[in-house]
Amino acid sequence: MLWLCISSPVQDKHALKALASWAGQFSSCVCFDTERWLLWLEIGSSLRYFSGLAVLLEKVAAGLTALGLTATTGVAPTPEAAALLTRQPQVLPVLKLNQLQQAIASLPLNELALFPAVIGGLQASGVTTVGELLALPRAALARRWGMQLTDYLQRLLGERPDPRKPYRAPQTYHRRFDFAEAVKTVEGLLFPLRRILYELQGYLRGRDAALQTLNVAFRHHDHADTVLILRTTDPQRDALRLFALVREKLERTQLPGAVMEIRLAVERFVALRDTQLHLWDEGQRNDAGWSDLLDKLRARLGDQAVRRLGLRDDHRPEKAWCVEDGAATSDLPPAFPDRPLWLLSPRPIQRLPKLLGKPERIEAGWWTGEDSSRDYYIAQTAEGSRWWLYREAATSRWFLQGIWA
Amino acid sequence: MPLPSPLSRLPLEQIPGVWRGHELAAVKARSTGHAALDALLPGGGWPIGALTELVPLIEGIGEVDVLRTTLKRLCDEKRHIVFVRPPYIPYAPALLRAGLPLPRVLWIDAAQDEDARWAAEQTLREGAAGAVLLWSSAIADRPLRRLQLAAEAGQSLAFIYRPAVTLNNSSPAALRIVLRPAPSALGVEVLKARGGRAGFVFLPVDTSV
Repeated sequence: MLWLCISSPVQDKHALKALASWAGQFSSCVCFDTERWLLWLEIGSSLRYFSGLAVLLEKVAAGLTALGLTATTGVAPTPEAAALLTRQPQVLPVLKLNQLQQAIASLPLNELALFPAVIGGLQASGVTTVGELLALPRAALARRWGMQLTDYLQRLLGERPDPRKPYRAPQTYHRRFDFAEAVKTVEGLLFPLRRILYELQGYLRGRDAALQTLNVAFRHHDHADTVLILRTTDPQRDALRLFALVREKLERTQLPGAVMEIRLAVERFVALRDTQLHLWDEGQRNDAGWSDLLDKLRARLGDQAVRRLGLRDDHRPEKAWCVEDGAATSDLPPAFPDRPLWLLSPRPIQRLPKLLGKPERIEAGWWTGEDSSRDYYIAQTAEGSRWWLYREAATSRWFLQGIWA
Repeated sequence: MPLPSPLSRLPLEQIPGVWRGHELAAVKARSTGHAALDALLPGGGWPIGALTELVPLIEGIGEVDVLRTTLKRLCDEKRHIVFVRPPYIPYAPALLRAGLPLPRVLWIDAAQDEDARWAAEQTLREGAAGAVLLWSSAIADRPLRRLQLAAEAGQSLAFIYRPAVTLNNSSPAALRIVLRPAPSALGVEVLKARGGRAGFVFLPVDTSV
């Protein structure tokens, strides 16, 4: 076993848990200590996947930088030794148990995770380095300072097992980010947003999943939460891409007041390379550019503004179409009569233009009580426009409903 | 008596550095489906990766129908057609009749002209769609320049429909066309064509009922 210990620069339980979720991308065994603000990753089994320690450490460091964190790390065969090395970043990673004692011998005693009284007492009796302490007979140490000290030393050196309870990331993702001081500008929200989206990316990588719906809520002091719901066309987990979408949406949103807290929630996860059909992108699954574009457009303009069209099985022209919602059809019956490109909501007309050809009788809706029997005509205005008109049979009134653009 | 320049005796194409107007730039274009119009346009069709400005003098004269063949062919090639802020509802049965399968058509109903231009610009820049049709009443030069640049970046077809009032201003569009009503026809007047010349054709409009 090989442990990577990260000394968390953020001393906040939510933040540490989020960091543990993020770390899931590097290790299947992550644990933490909220008293010492330490996070451990068992990396012995991840080394091959990351093609070696150097690459893995580089990725961890880059990930921490992306989160905006400056953290020290230590690598050693036991959790306590790895924790010790976070205090001494100049010490190279220790990979083997039999090299451990020598590697830590010269470190000062006060870096050990012992009570200050114990350290003070040992120093008073002339012990100043880890090596000097380890040279003393354990039985004498146990008598003088209690079993706790010898137990710690055994775990430090790997002489007895040091089982840790691995952190199990929850099945749904919830992240709260509190501000010490309410944030009044969108710019002030962007940095923490990007950071928590990077955390989310780490979590998603850890469980090898992606998302299609992301909820971001901003809590205000004396207003209801501002809630942004982001839906992506394709499964996503790229932090920067999600950030661009959230940012676009946020910049279009009126915040009613300063923000006290950001809450990020993901309830459902999908596989990243899911081949299930989605109503939006049937036949376009490989066209990443197209779905990215749709996401971008919807983030700024709203879901309702970016539309696909469908047909409805209804004879009334205004009900024969719809905005595609998955239930619509998209095939015309054969021999469907010609229709104008632009559909208007019927508007009464006073002066009747020249009618061309025979009327088309459309009757529908009597069974719903909206009886409408209409005679449709193509007409040509004096200026040269072609219109689609109808005469309502019941009232003999004329309406314009379409334009042949 | 001035001596004749030695150059004047050479055939034009043998003089280095001299090109005829229509040879100036190889304009990449896509057939309009109307032979008479193709013959008039540089490259033989709608320019690819450049902005085409269409100014119908009134609506309802076949101002979109003039693109029908081109749009249908793009759909056949599995490209998308994007309508950005059209003046009315694009009627699904009419699109299908014109040979545009509904899943290929995107309708962006932006509330503001600015949002519409932004959406068109993004779509053009990505080159994700086969053609973008934008309706905009923007008068200024700058928004059109942005669209022209986006069209160049994405190398798709870009059409902007503008009201007649904009004819008073110059335009950065590569192709500028006025569409006029005519008896049983659509009058297509090319005001400006980069790498080509001005001209006029009538395209028959099918008015049989």
